[in-house]
Amino acid sequence: MASFATATRLTTRLVSRRVTQDAATRGFQTSAASLAAQNFTMPALSPTMTEGNIASWKIKEGDSFSAGDVLLEIETDKASMDVEAAEDGILMKIMQGDGSKNIQVGSRIGVFAEPDDDISKLEIPADEKPSPKEAKKETQAPQESQQPAPAKAAGGQRQPKSGPKAPPQKYPLYPSVEHLVKEHKLDESAISDMTPTGPGGRLLKGDVLAYLGTVSPNRPEEIKARFVHNSHLDLSNIKIAAPKEAPKKATKTTEVPIPEDSVVTLPVSLAAVIEVQERIEKKLGTFLPLSTFIARATELANDELPLPSNYRPTADELFNQVLGLDKVGPKGSRGRYLPQISALPKPSFTGVAPKPKAKVDIIDFLASQTKKTTSKPKRPSLQPGISTTDNVFSLTVPKAEEKRAQVFLQKVKAVLEAEPGRLVL
Amino acid sequence: MLASRLIPRTAVRSVCRSQSSLPTVVSPLSRWRRGYASQADEKDLVIIGGGVAGYVAAIKAGQEGLKVACIEKRGSLGGTCLNVGCIPSKSLLNNSHLYHQILHDTKNRGIEVGDVKLNLQAMMKAKETSVTGLTKGIEFLFKKNGVEYIKGTGSFASENEVKVQLNDGGETSVVGKNILIATGSEATPFPGLEIDEKRVITSTGALSLDKVPEKMIVIGGGIIGLEMGSVWSRLGAKVTVVEFLDQIGGPGMDAEIAKQAQKLLKKQGIEFKLGTKVVTGDKSGETVKLEVDSAKGGKPETLDADVVLVAIGRRPYTTGLGLENIGLEIDERGRVVIDSEYRTKASHIRCIGDVTFGPMLAHKAEEEAVAAVEYIKKGYGHVNYGVIPSVMYTHPEVAWVGQNEQELKKDKIPYKIGTFPFSANSRAKTNLDTEGLVKMIADPETDRLLGCHIIGPNAGEMIAEATLALEYGASTEDIARTCHAHPTLAEAFKEAAMATYSKAIHY
Ligand SMILES: Cc1cc2nc3c(=O)[nH]c(=O)nc-3n(C[C@H](O)[C@H](O)[C@H](O)COP(=O)(O)OP(=O)(O)OC[C@H]3O[C@@H](n4cnc5c(N)ncnc54)[C@H](O)[C@@H]3O)c2cc1C
Repeated sequence: MASFATATRLTTRLVSRRVTQDAATRGFQTSAASLAAQNFTMPALSPTMTEGNIASWKIKEGDSFSAGDVLLEIETDKASMDVEAAEDGILMKIMQGDGSKNIQVGSRIGVFAEPDDDISKLEIPADEKPSPKEAKKETQAPQESQQPAPAKAAGGQRQPKSGPKAPPQKYPLYPSVEHLVKEHKLDESAISDMTPTGPGGRLLKGDVLAYLGTVSPNRPEEIKARFVHNSHLDLSNIKIAAPKEAPKKATKTTEVPIPEDSVVTLPVSLAAVIEVQERIEKKLGTFLPLSTFIARATELANDELPLPSNYRPTADELFNQVLGLDKVGPKGSRGRYLPQISALPKPSFTGVAPKPKAKVDIIDFLASQTKKTTSKPKRPSLQPGISTTDNVFSLTVPKAEEKRAQVFLQKVKAVLEAEPGRLVL
Repeated sequence: MLASRLIPRTAVRSVCRSQSSLPTVVSPLSRWRRGYASQADEKDLVIIGGGVAGYVAAIKAGQEGLKVACIEKRGSLGGTCLNVGCIPSKSLLNNSHLYHQILHDTKNRGIEVGDVKLNLQAMMKAKETSVTGLTKGIEFLFKKNGVEYIKGTGSFASENEVKVQLNDGGETSVVGKNILIATGSEATPFPGLEIDEKRVITSTGALSLDKVPEKMIVIGGGIIGLEMGSVWSRLGAKVTVVEFLDQIGGPGMDAEIAKQAQKLLKKQGIEFKLGTKVVTGDKSGETVKLEVDSAKGGKPETLDADVVLVAIGRRPYTTGLGLENIGLEIDERGRVVIDSEYRTKASHIRCIGDVTFGPMLAHKAEEEAVAAVEYIKKGYGHVNYGVIPSVMYTHPEVAWVGQNEQELKKDKIPYKIGTFPFSANSRAKTNLDTEGLVKMIADPETDRLLGCHIIGPNAGEMIAEATLALEYGASTEDIARTCHAHPTLAEAFKEAAMATYSKAIHY
């Protein structure tokens, strides 16, 4: 409903007519000199409208407004619309506030003053509530002059539109609509006089029937409201579950033995690597830094490592086993190890965090690579802390992964010591 | 706002590490971060779960130019639907139907077949081939749309960081400007009957039994129970469905259609015990025994079977997701609480699919995925929850969209009905497949279509037309005035529309 309301505006012309009419009756326009404010009454949004609700006022008491400003939003059972001011003025008093229901057309809802009136000096005029009959006459007059053709032509049976104008129907009309239009010899202007209730302002069969007066005028809107309601996910009455305490989670993790890190080390000689390196440089004239060899060995060695001893298959893996989807089963997995390297002998490293100066990890290697590529005549010396022969490769890993880490280091060692040539093929 | 919530990454990293028992490795962490991860890891969108909801959102986000990562722990994409749901079940339904038809429905068609044998292993293989083909297809689409696929289990470390226990044994973490929860659902277990997926099974076990059980009991006469019951009944099992309510098919199915469906399934050999409650179960013996009770207080009874399928519904799955770490709420049925734009309490964390509100259907999850990404990218998305079709792939199929008769009655909404039986449809007649009908429900005054319910051959495909009609606010006259090819089953749909607004020609 709300979006419907904002999408539609009571035409300025209509409002203007209403307000001027009120003014004409009660001297709104000519009263600049007389020190009286003017009553503003419930306008009729359609000839059939007898009462309406005030959804909300868009300006406050005491506010000035200019012609064209939206003063308030009015609702009926069919539609809701913004009411715009026809001329400038001041809203002196609101007599029927937001949410007032079932206000008769013609009864007073507010009091206006002229743009430069001093409202503190103005008196509120008496309420001249029109008799229902008068109200009807009042609202019908302008309507008749505005909408001559279709309503009349239909011999009074048809319901002229009460809501917003139908947007021009650009797409083909629905088969049923087309059929009714032809059958009843309706023309373009009649179509634009109907109130569309279909998605995206489309004109439905029911809208034509309502226009023709064959079904009750409110029916299309009622169904539309139900569709709009059903189109949303029902998020009402959500009963929140008692929150799970985050700390609970923490206690849960303490059930699991606290992982202890352990350091796994293995001496590795780089002699073979350096030999290959020199051979390549002699033969091909390209210098391959040590880091390349180590990075490639690491890459190879990370393949298919034994699973950590505390690895537990997930529920899905179990499901998949049931399904026979992973016949192999997780026997091994790829690691992400990155060894630290330092020269032998070293005072003591077991269990102690390595001193940064003494150790160089592979990232330092990689980082310094760019420097090395500048083709110096003399090869830069090795990274400090790395020996051309015996080095210690180490990893700090959770206890459960000791075996995995050992296998990794052994694989690195095997590649680097036995067949480093493989790494550069 | 998001940025200020970010804890410096290295700090987060070391916190995760010290808390967890997971294998995590490497030399000084700060270096590791510095070397590889720091530049790459903030995503525009991180999706937890690679089911229909998650993978569709990932592809859509990729297409919209977002930097997106999708975390899935199953080892293959597609979630329940592709791995253990819609797809494998439809493979078995289709092939078991063929088998059943060849056995029982060839002579009168002038086809004489010799020895017909079931090779269950090969039938399962065919199912697996379909599944792998489709899940691999999604992996390809990920690549194509630049989606990073992280194989592992995601859990919230903070409001912007998801840590992932990698399936391979390591651990990593991703930071997302937006995070989407799409962790789906799991079968609701039956209290007191432990699932072993061999004798007491969920739909997952029912999709991969290694032999046809002699007797099978299905607890729950909803769509999943009836579909899996149909499969094993066609392959030779004696199937009994025990349902607590007085109607099969679940709440959305029109009561009149549900009765028809029950009648037709019964004719195929499925036994029904409606209004019956399973009290306890015992699987210690040779067979599994169930104590059942009439829901309205009749005499208790003991049933037994080789295999019991528990199909009493599905529940949202958030185990291990760490919602409590960041204070996200779930409701009493375990659904992640969202607003109308799929936002949780933390507005950059959204949630869609089976794990939140609404019907647990793959196409609903898919619609939400697109809408959620559009909300993130464009600030507006839309799903029309009033127009979501449902299909039961038994034979004949049952399909519906919009409202059913009992719902309208309950809300005291006036309606009119038009029906057309397939027995009066020429194509159904030539196919010798004439059971069922099309039923339309419309507003009595304006003729606007309110709902459509079909039981019959091809109902699942035909429902698309009703869905389109509802989406456009069509009247039954609009449908009836639209030309339908002859001879097709769809003509029954048109004639039902004619019957609703005026009169059917052929009935
Ligand atoms: C037997 C059966 C038949 C069905 N048939 C149909 C049908 O015909 N039509 C239909 O529309 N629907 C059907 N459904 C329902 C459909 O499968 C679901 O609606 C759909 O799969 C929901 O998608 P989703 O993405 O929300 O969840 P899911 O498909 O369940 O996907 C969630 C995914 O998230 C993963 N995950 C969970 N937690 C984590 C975590 N912490 N980290 C990483 N990953 C995680 C899970 O492994 C899972 O793969 C069927 C369901 C079943 C069981």
